[in-house]
Amino acid sequence: MKWAYLGVPVVAAVPLLLTPGQLTTFVLLGLSAMTVVGLSLLMGYAGQVSLGQASFTAIGAYTSGLLALHHTPPLLALAAAPIAAGLAAVVVGVPILRLRGHQLAFATLALQLILLSVLGDADWAGGAVGLQGLPYLSIGGFELDDDMDYAYVVLVGVLLVSLIAYHLVHSRVGRGLRALATGEAAAEASGVPVGAYRLLVFAVSAAFAGLAGGIYSFFLGYLAPGSFPVLLSIEYVVMAVVGGLGSVGGALLGAALVTVVVQLLTTLATQPGMPSYAPSVLSYAVYALLLIAVVLFVPRGIVPSLRKSP
Amino acid sequence: MPDLLTVTGATRRFGGVYALRDVDLDVRAGETHAVIGPNGAGKSTLFKLIGGQLIATAGTIGYDGRRIDRLAPHRRARRGIAIAFQDSPVFHNLSVTENVMVGAHAVTRAGPVAAILRLPRHRRDEVTIRALAADALARTGLTEWADRPAAALPLGQQRALQVARALCGGPRLLLLDEPASGLRGPERTALATLIEQLRADGLSILLVEHDVAFVARLADRVTVLDLGRVIAHGTFAEIREDPAVITAYLGGPR
Ligand SMILES: Nc1ncnc2c1ncn2[C@@H]1O[C@H](COP(=O)(O)OP(=O)(O)OP(=O)(O)O)[C@@H](O)[C@H]1O
Ligand SMILES: [Mg+2]
Repeated sequence: MKWAYLGVPVVAAVPLLLTPGQLTTFVLLGLSAMTVVGLSLLMGYAGQVSLGQASFTAIGAYTSGLLALHHTPPLLALAAAPIAAGLAAVVVGVPILRLRGHQLAFATLALQLILLSVLGDADWAGGAVGLQGLPYLSIGGFELDDDMDYAYVVLVGVLLVSLIAYHLVHSRVGRGLRALATGEAAAEASGVPVGAYRLLVFAVSAAFAGLAGGIYSFFLGYLAPGSFPVLLSIEYVVMAVVGGLGSVGGALLGAALVTVVVQLLTTLATQPGMPSYAPSVLSYAVYALLLIAVVLFVPRGIVPSLRKSP
Repeated sequence: MPDLLTVTGATRRFGGVYALRDVDLDVRAGETHAVIGPNGAGKSTLFKLIGGQLIATAGTIGYDGRRIDRLAPHRRARRGIAIAFQDSPVFHNLSVTENVMVGAHAVTRAGPVAAILRLPRHRRDEVTIRALAADALARTGLTEWADRPAAALPLGQQRALQVARALCGGPRLLLLDEPASGLRGPERTALATLIEQLRADGLSILLVEHDVAFVARLADRVTVLDLGRVIAHGTFAEIREDPAVITAYLGGPR
């Protein structure tokens, strides 16, 4: 972890070097990274896959957006985002996490589909059009109104979730989590409350996604159900797997790598002469190829493979 | 001496098969009690009923004056019951020390908030846990392996690691399911010496073991299971003479 602090000033200088278009990508990358840090915890330690993690991003985004539209101070509205997403995870997680195997994957996917259709129909959420005209985030009277500001908000967010994840993993609770990932009965017999810890990780991962969603709503200024497709949830899973599960560094690297590759290909796919479906076909292809390459060559993901085993 | 553990009428069925049938067993405070019996007799099933990994079809389990048979396993661990399973592998993604530290979960409390905010409670617990783990490693002769990945341990040391993890929570009742299986001569002797020391420290121990010499040396009392039923109990000298025990071990009409 110590070496990671050296990376902070380097990364903090990056936004200054970017073009406006790249700055937008940088912000979106950071938001993905926040979500993926949480998802990687969930997949690495609770041994569960969430195929609907973007639903927590959506819950966070809509919470912030609705509160801000109803004249809640923006910072408060932002703080409510991870709380709402975390609570939603607890409510959904209590019944689901008792189950075994792939139930969580299906249940979270179902959750997202239900959420998207509810949001699409709900008048209070603006229906399919969504929420428009959200205010900017403001901190102490200082309004954050350009992409550069949000680049730094996102950096702080990434730092925050990384620190939380790192502290959690390197603690009594974290040892319990790592133990239950490989030996549930022995962990439980040692006093680890397996169910509660699984729920905790799920809630924390949802809260990270929710915080990212909150920042996203202020960054874009509008929200629609279409901003949170199932493809986004899949993208998060690919990022987590590519980087390596249960590793904060892996989550960040995975998010960066996938974002950059997809961005490059999107640029390619939107060249004149390319068919209109090229971008989405290409991004699916990238996800598939990346997953296959990782499973074949670095099954534990990139970052854990670079380290010696524990 | 009073009973620390009282199992009454314990029955466990798997489908139509009775793994345990109407088993009574008590462990007195401070004694080493062996459970022996042929393969499939129900010894591990009995341990899992006590640890909470399995729920009894019928019967009750009392511990320290209270019924525990509806408690989740981690709550039983907090009450002081530790178990080293026969067939559970080590936590192979953790180091040897970390494996043992997991065992201290039962006697510490620092939760996620303390961890995330690095509160004093987190730091205090970490210090306690490290000290407990160092002690458990020393007692089981694993100190020199402390920083190795657990997956890299030879089988003998992996068995010892299970015992160390169970010890790390400072239990009052220690359940050891075939702790000596796969151990060679000197390791076996070291384990027997450790169990004697633990007994001298006042720990109550319930032990499954096939090695007769091991049981003869360590057990204050022995309960013999066969086909899920108790067929004899008493001191080692008593059960050794018991015709039912001789028949169960040597085969013949039942
Ligand atoms: N989960 C299970 N499902 C079905 N049957 C089981 C299960 N666990 C145990 N049994 C059966 O219950 C009986 C007792 O098994 P148990 O493992 O308790 O025996 P044991 O005395 O520990 O044997 P060993 O000396 O081989 O360890 C066996 O017939 C076994 O096949
Ligand atoms: Mg057994």
